[in-house]
Amino acid sequence: MVSDDNATLVRARRDLAERLGISKDDVVMKSVEPADFPDAALGAPLADEMSAQVITPGWRIILKAGETNYEYRATARQLRLVNFNGKNYRI
Amino acid sequence: MLRNNIGVHLTIALALILIAALAGGVRKWKKAAERSRQTVSHPVPDTDDQESKSGEEDDTDKAEVLVRFRAGTTREIIDRITRQFHDEVEDRIESVDGLDVIEDEDGQSAADVVAQYRALPEVEYAETNSAILLDHEDRGRKHLHADDEMFFRQWGLSNGGENGGLAGADISAMRAWAVTTGSDQIVVAVIDSGVDYTHPDLVKNIWTRPEIIKAYNDDDLGAVDDVHGFNVVDDNDDPMDDNGHGTHCAGIIGAEGGNGIGIAGVNWNVKIMPLRFMDGDGAGTTKDAIEAINYVIDRKRAGVNVRIISASWGSHTRSRALEDVIRKAYDEGILFVAAAGNAGTDNDQTPHYPSSYNLGNIVSVAATNRGDQLASFSNYGAKSVQVAAPGEEILSTWLEHGFTEKKGTSMATPFVAGVAALILSQNPKMSVDDLRTQLLKSVDPLASLKGKVSTGGRINAAKAVGAE
Repeated sequence: MVSDDNATLVRARRDLAERLGISKDDVVMKSVEPADFPDAALGAPLADEMSAQVITPGWRIILKAGETNYEYRATARQLRLVNFNGKNYRI
Repeated sequence: MLRNNIGVHLTIALALILIAALAGGVRKWKKAAERSRQTVSHPVPDTDDQESKSGEEDDTDKAEVLVRFRAGTTREIIDRITRQFHDEVEDRIESVDGLDVIEDEDGQSAADVVAQYRALPEVEYAETNSAILLDHEDRGRKHLHADDEMFFRQWGLSNGGENGGLAGADISAMRAWAVTTGSDQIVVAVIDSGVDYTHPDLVKNIWTRPEIIKAYNDDDLGAVDDVHGFNVVDDNDDPMDDNGHGTHCAGIIGAEGGNGIGIAGVNWNVKIMPLRFMDGDGAGTTKDAIEAINYVIDRKRAGVNVRIISASWGSHTRSRALEDVIRKAYDEGILFVAAAGNAGTDNDQTPHYPSSYNLGNIVSVAATNRGDQLASFSNYGAKSVQVAAPGEEILSTWLEHGFTEKKGTSMATPFVAGVAALILSQNPKMSVDDLRTQLLKSVDPLASLKGKVSTGGRINAAKAVGAE
C-alpha cells in the first residue's frame, strides 16, 4: 500500500497540479500498481529519445483531477507523465 | 568310457562359459540404457567404446555433481547432509574451499541431485559434472565447458532443461568454443550507457586505444584522449557506466571466459569498445547516438579493427540522420546489430528504429526464452526482424562488480553481436555482407519463430563457426 506522502507520489501530484493550474489538494491518487515497462523510457519516450530495450520494473500511477485520469510512470530513479496533451514528459 | 565322459564334461563347460558371457553382455547393455536416461546434455557412447576409451567400470553409472558449500560449513555438517541424501563425497577440491565432488548412491539423476543441494542454505552452488568429451552420438563433435562460477545459470549458452527450460534451447556455445573462443584482435563497439571497464570479469576484454592510433578529435571538443572509448553524454573520454545496461550487454558479448569467476561471454576473448550515449536512466538522444556511431566510424578509419556495433536501444521515431550514419558504418564494413524492441508488436506494421531501417548491415534481433519460444514481450517481423536469440532471465555483469539477470531484446542483441565476433575471430577479413549472410544462415529453425523472424530461427553459434 503506497501512502500519500510517498515522495514520488508527492512529486507527481505537484507536477500535475502545476500543469493544470489547480491546488495539489484537488489531485487525488486513484491507483498505484507495479508494472513492467518495455524499455528504460518506461514506454513513454520523449520526442527525440532512444532508450535501452530492457524490461524495466516500476509503477503505474493514476492520478485524478476532476473527471480526468492522468498516468504517470515511475521507477526509483525516474518519473514520467504519459500522453499529456499528446506528449510524454520526463519530470 | 572315460573319453566319452571327458567329452560330455567339456561340452557342458563350454556351454556354461557361453551362458556366462551372454549374461555379462546383457548387464552391460542394461547399464548403458540407464546412463542414457540419466545424462541429459552428454549422451553416453555405446558400451564398447566407453570401455575401450575410459577403462572405467560401474562408477560411471552414478550421478556426480560439483557442490561448493558456503564458508563455515563444517565437515561434520557436509557429511551429515550427504548421508541424508544417500550420497558420498567422492573427492575434495583442495584449492577451492568447500568444493566437493558428490556421488549419488541411490540412482538419482544428476539434475535431481543438483536441485537437492541448491535448495540448501549451506550450499553456494551446485552443478552437474559436465565432461569435456568427444560426443560419439554427436558424430564426433567436441564441446568445451566453461569453468566460470555461474556458467550453470547461463541457459542461453548451454541449456540442460533446468527451471522448466528445454534442453538444447541455447546457442550451442560449448560446441562453438571447441572451434574458437574468440579473439582479442576483434573489436565490438557497445553503444549504450557505457561499460564498467573495471569489472573483474570484463577488465581483460576492454579495448584500449593502441599508441599507434591517434587520439580521437572531436570538432567541438578538440582532442579527446579516448583510452577506452568515448562518453557522448558528458563530452569526455570516460565511458564509465552508471546505469548497468551497457555493462550487462558487454558481459553477454565478452565477459572473460574460463577464468573461474562470474560468467562466460559468447567470446571468452574479444575487445569491447565502450560508448556512452545513454544516461544513468538508460535514455539518450538521437543526436548523441549519431555522435557515438560517428566515433566508431572515425576509429575504424584510423585503423581500429572495430567491425561490429551492438545497439540494444531504440524507439518508434524514424530519423534520416541516424539512418545515414548507420549507412556510413556499412560503407566502412561495420555490422550493426540492433534490438527489435519489447512491445510485443509486429515491426512489419509498426517499425522500431534503428532495427527497422532497411540497410544491408543491420541485423534486427528478437528474444527467445529458455523454452525456445518467442518471448512474450518481444517484437517480431517476418520481413524486418532477422533472427532471435536468448533474451529472458539472462545473467550478466552489472555495476559494483556484480552480476544480475535482465530480460529484453537488449539482451538478445549482444548474443548475436557476440556470435558475429566469433565468426570474425576465424576470418577477420570477411566482408560485412558475408558476415551478415553467415549469421543469418546459422540459425536453428524453430516452429515458434516461423513467420516471426525472416530466418525463422534462433542463432546457433556452433553453426556460425562451422562446428556443426
